[in-house]
Amino acid sequence: MATTACFIIVSRNDIPIYEAEVGVAAKREDAAQLHQFILHAALDVVQDLAWTTSAMYLKSVDRFNELVVSVYVTAGHILFTIRLALLLSVEVVVANCLPDLAVKINIQIQTLLNPLYLPGSRITSSHFDTKVRALARKYL
Amino acid sequence: MMDPSRTPLGQMLLDEITPILMLLSTPTVEDSCLKNGLTFLQMLSPFSSFNNIDVPVRTASDQPYRIHKFKLRLFYASDVRSPDLKGAKEHLKHVITEAGEKVFSELTSDEEEIDQHQQLASSEYRNTPSWFQLLNKELVRVVSFSDHEAFDHPVACLLAVSSKDEQPINRFVDLFNTNKLPSLLNDGAMDPKISKHYLLVHDNQDGHADRASKILTEMRSTFGTSNCLFLCINSTPDAPIKHEENPWAAFVSDASPSKDLGCFLNIDDISEIKDLMQDLSSKHIIPNMEQNIRVLNQQVSASRKGFRNQIKNLWWRKGKEDGADSLNGPMYNYNSIESQIRVLGDYAFMLWDYELALSNYRLISTDYKIDKAWKRYAGVQEMMGLTYFMSDQSRKEAEYCMENAFNTYLKLGLPGQQNATRCGLWWVEMLKAWDQYKEAATVYFRICGEDILHSAVMLEQASYCYLLSRPSMLRKYGFHLVLSGEQYKKCDQIKHAIRTYRSALSVFKGTTWSYICDHVHFHIGQWYASLGMYDVAVKHMMEVLACSHQSKSMQELFVGDFLKIVEKTGRTFEVTKLQLPVINVSSLKVIFEDSRTFGSPLAANTRESLWRSLEEEMISSFSAAKTNWLELQSKLVSRKNSQSNVCVAGEAVNVIIEFKNPLQIAIPISGVTLICKHSAITDEVRLDENKSIVEDDNDIDHFKDMSSNNSSILMSEVDFLLGGGETTMVQLSVTPRVEGTLEILGVRWKLSGTIVGFLKFELSLPKNIVKSRRKGKRSPNDKFKFMVIKSIPKLQASINSLPGKVYAGDLWQLVLELKNPSEFPVKNLKMKISHPRFLIIGNQEDIKSEFPACLTKKIDSGQSDAHANHSILSDTVFLFPEGTSVQGKTPFLWPLWFRAAVPGEISLYLSIYYEMEDISSIIKYRTLRLHYNVQVLPSLDVSFQISPSRLRIHEFLVRLDVVNKTSSECFQVYQLSSIGHHWQISLLQPPDTIFPSQSLMAGQAISCFFTLKNSSKLSTSEDNLSTMNVTSDVILVPQSSEDLLYDVNSASLVKFHHYERLQQELSDEGDLNTVDFLLISQTLKSTNNPGFSDPPRVMSHHACHSCIASTGPISWLLDGPQTLHHDFSESFCEIDLKMHLYNSSGATVFVRIDTSDSAGIGGHTNSFNAVQSAIPDNQAGWHYVPPVNELKVTTSNVLETQPGKALPLESASPFVWSGSSSTNLHLEPMSLVEIPLQICVFTPGTYDLSNYALSWKLPSKVRGDSNQTKLRSGKCQGYKHYLTVLQSI
Repeated sequence: MATTACFIIVSRNDIPIYEAEVGVAAKREDAAQLHQFILHAALDVVQDLAWTTSAMYLKSVDRFNELVVSVYVTAGHILFTIRLALLLSVEVVVANCLPDLAVKINIQIQTLLNPLYLPGSRITSSHFDTKVRALARKYL
Repeated sequence: MMDPSRTPLGQMLLDEITPILMLLSTPTVEDSCLKNGLTFLQMLSPFSSFNNIDVPVRTASDQPYRIHKFKLRLFYASDVRSPDLKGAKEHLKHVITEAGEKVFSELTSDEEEIDQHQQLASSEYRNTPSWFQLLNKELVRVVSFSDHEAFDHPVACLLAVSSKDEQPINRFVDLFNTNKLPSLLNDGAMDPKISKHYLLVHDNQDGHADRASKILTEMRSTFGTSNCLFLCINSTPDAPIKHEENPWAAFVSDASPSKDLGCFLNIDDISEIKDLMQDLSSKHIIPNMEQNIRVLNQQVSASRKGFRNQIKNLWWRKGKEDGADSLNGPMYNYNSIESQIRVLGDYAFMLWDYELALSNYRLISTDYKIDKAWKRYAGVQEMMGLTYFMSDQSRKEAEYCMENAFNTYLKLGLPGQQNATRCGLWWVEMLKAWDQYKEAATVYFRICGEDILHSAVMLEQASYCYLLSRPSMLRKYGFHLVLSGEQYKKCDQIKHAIRTYRSALSVFKGTTWSYICDHVHFHIGQWYASLGMYDVAVKHMMEVLACSHQSKSMQELFVGDFLKIVEKTGRTFEVTKLQLPVINVSSLKVIFEDSRTFGSPLAANTRESLWRSLEEEMISSFSAAKTNWLELQSKLVSRKNSQSNVCVAGEAVNVIIEFKNPLQIAIPISGVTLICKHSAITDEVRLDENKSIVEDDNDIDHFKDMSSNNSSILMSEVDFLLGGGETTMVQLSVTPRVEGTLEILGVRWKLSGTIVGFLKFELSLPKNIVKSRRKGKRSPNDKFKFMVIKSIPKLQASINSLPGKVYAGDLWQLVLELKNPSEFPVKNLKMKISHPRFLIIGNQEDIKSEFPACLTKKIDSGQSDAHANHSILSDTVFLFPEGTSVQGKTPFLWPLWFRAAVPGEISLYLSIYYEMEDISSIIKYRTLRLHYNVQVLPSLDVSFQISPSRLRIHEFLVRLDVVNKTSSECFQVYQLSSIGHHWQISLLQPPDTIFPSQSLMAGQAISCFFTLKNSSKLSTSEDNLSTMNVTSDVILVPQSSEDLLYDVNSASLVKFHHYERLQQELSDEGDLNTVDFLLISQTLKSTNNPGFSDPPRVMSHHACHSCIASTGPISWLLDGPQTLHHDFSESFCEIDLKMHLYNSSGATVFVRIDTSDSAGIGGHTNSFNAVQSAIPDNQAGWHYVPPVNELKVTTSNVLETQPGKALPLESASPFVWSGSSSTNLHLEPMSLVEIPLQICVFTPGTYDLSNYALSWKLPSKVRGDSNQTKLRSGKCQGYKHYLTVLQSI
């Protein structure tokens, strides 16, 4: 099945720190921007929803046509707002990603991002990138 | 609880779902009305709604209630039909376009709109565009007068005939002609027996009302009194009246304001119309409706209410099930019970009796559902929802009904589309009234149908819903605006598209979601360009230029479009924030030359501290000499200027900037120049004042017309093409020609020849700088400020022919060339070199001699040596000879020697110091800094091994191992010299046997042996170091006629050797048992490239401190005969031996020689002191001596053994040491002693005389105990020394 998926890690203040188009479907020209639009808009919903539930994995919080947005909210999101610091806040996983993927990736993130990481700056590690893509290939 | 009727939806319903009064009028009536610029309908319209009517109404229930608000909708009979769909669409499009134009013109008029948008998150930004309401109304109106809804069916009919008409009574009858009546009445959708009212209209301008009253009486008799009405209009005599508040203005859509509406209607007329309408509604229409309701209700109750009827109904419908099953279900006639229930419901709704309406709607909805009359079912559901809403009952029910209706309409497909839209709009309004904006937005989203334009509008409305929701969902707002803009674009509503995108921009501004930003900016830019507004377009397009994350094709598109748009504007743009190319401001470097000058850019890039440390010595000598130098300067230079940098007129100030192309496509950059400000020194104060003022107001101007500015500065201009992803360092220079002040403000460049970009180096305002400078603080911009002083001489220097790549050990003679282009001479030249191991300063005479030849031995080698020794000592700063002055065109040359000491990358720093002749200048001295990089490759690996000779006490065997480490080069190992004045070296074998091929190929290793002789007989050698030059050289190639010996005492080699020695320094400095070797090799002359004859290259390898004595401070040698004939029949043989003992250390050594007899009886290693010299083997005179502490032989005080006893038992004939068994002595440093020893041999044979031992001990306090590595005492076993004694015949 041809799926299209986009994986984005968003830090606090809506800053995307990592982006990856991981779908296997043929790329549309405007896929990247469309996905960004959808995910960006979905943050509105996530923001509300994250506080109403204790679950970290929010499946299908938002949808646009056939594209479904699922979110894995890390604890950092909560920690941040009460100023205890730490790294990540919100990740957005589009389409049919399983929670597994999100969890695994999350673990990786926590191991990969060290205390020297500046909140809000981009993740540029190629190692991380390949890992995410490999995982995505496995799950999609 | 809110009042539903006060919500927008309530208002809308109260306006829209009201009884309809159908108008029928004769042309004469219309004519009369048109005098006022109004149609008959328009004339009545303002008076058809009553806000405080207060009428008692009694419907089904017995209890009357009062309604306060009532409205009649007026329609001409010809209009009472389903509106033309196409026409409606055109109309809608027109409305939208118009709104677009209007809003857009407002938008462009104030550019600050975007900024204002930014506050929308917090402030009450609730004014959604007003034209939405208008549009929604139109959309709702599209589906009016459908046959399945009764509220659009006229409840009454007003027939109007003018008093001017002929036979008015007949006209009345004619008017209600069935042919002209709307289809609703004719095709049986509604009851044709509609209540009729007859109105006689009299135009007062046409004459007196007599005729009218006559007709009226006639009418009354014909149609009945109650149904006849009379209206008098146009009562104003002549002059038109201006109505202060024109009641018609709102109802005439296309009226120009200049036209006087109702100009012939005076107050009386108006009140008459008002009364007429009020009478009509309160006395006729409302009672009529009440009547209808009651009648219908009775009918419905009779046929449908009650248990029996329900069963019956159900049964009946079941039976009908397989009847006509069209899409809309069966047709219902007006007199069918279903239609009647619906009419009853609608009437009740219109008269605010929601309870009744709801019960009827419920009743009918199940019927329709069973009948599969989906459209009607949906209509009823819709009404139920509205009824729930109006009666403020269960929200859930209301919403459910609306959703149900909406879905049902959608299921119908195309015919239900409009209805669905209307239903959706009502639903949305309902949700909005309940503050459920988020849900409303999703409904809007669902309304989007096939019609692109509609969906665009709906999406935009949805976006506003998101904005209005609490908390406002700005991201969704932005997203839906973009979606809507996209749709607008698809149907060519560019202006709307721009508007939506611009609104969206307020959300996305400053976000790091790069694709989003690019998309929005790019499209706005593109659309503005399509509208011809290129300036704005360019502004937006500029935002997307640095799109490094986009794919290459996108980048090409972006940049291509941008350039196209710029081209269309037909002028060059000048922008301060051009993102292409990226300039790395932190990489910015200003290189200028004050007292420090640089020989090359490479030198300028070197750390200042490095130069400082290098120059310290030279400069400090200067400032120490003239202590008043600082004072002098402070007098000359004002305080202000002393804080800025100094540069010299005529000398360029260089700025190095890094340009980076973030894109994957190449971009041409041209005309890169600095922006500078230069002011002459003359009236500086005044200028300074002026400048600060000037700069404040037209700073930009200053940036723009810089190119034409003035001739006092000269600026360089650079063009280059920046390939995809490339980074280029660009060096820009500005050369002031006149004294004064110079300030570098920024840089400008041209992208693709059309767009000019600027970059200011500092953002702080010039005004602030002036202020802060006066306070004495140093502002960051001072980096770019210079005081230009008058030109002073500047030396130029270069080292000629310094190779970039050499092999380790390469020796080069180089020439330092100094030039002074100015006419003023300089003096007091000094020079310092960072790495004297690599680069040394030669003698002036060297310059005349040819290179390798000057190193060869000359006849008078002595004098140069003395000079070398002298200059080694004072090495740190080289002073050029007194009176050296560089001036004019002739270059000043000085030789340098370069030797690549170790492999690797070597940076050589040279600093040349000079002083000006001209004292008046601020700068007294300057330094010229040179920096060279040399890459040194490994060449020969040379190692030496020395072992002492067993034959002679001052002789050693030297093994030389040479490995060629290069990959391709061939070397000729030419000469080996020992240095140290008291060593002599000679070959063991002729050179032919060592180097058959005369050269060492790449990777080849070779060993050869030498004997080394210490020629100094005396142990104190310190004082004769300079006098005795017993340097010995060996040529390793077969001697040919012209091959000359290299002089290792030539100045340069000696100096290099000195530094090598320093470098290879070991811990035991001053140990005299070391020898230094110097191996000289050459490259073979042009073996590889015959056409290209290199000068022969000479390489020297220095091996210093090769230790000769490995066993301790002493060396000894047993000396004696090797073969001896003796007649043992006479006596035993007594042999005298001599031991030469040499102390090579610098201290007195205590030595004890113990001769020992063999402890056991057997064994041929006897410990007798033999004085017989042994015969050495031919081939080897040396062997390894084990370390002292391994010695196992116990040396005891052994006396002479009994000779007879030992003899027969031993395989070798025994011998005994005679004489003293133990000798103790103190050996002076560097001294040689001879100790006599004696052995007695009893039988002929061969004896090994190695069983003796030497114990030595250094005095413990000779040197400090710090030197732990050295042994303080030790024991050495004797060498093997064979002695053969033969029986003499």
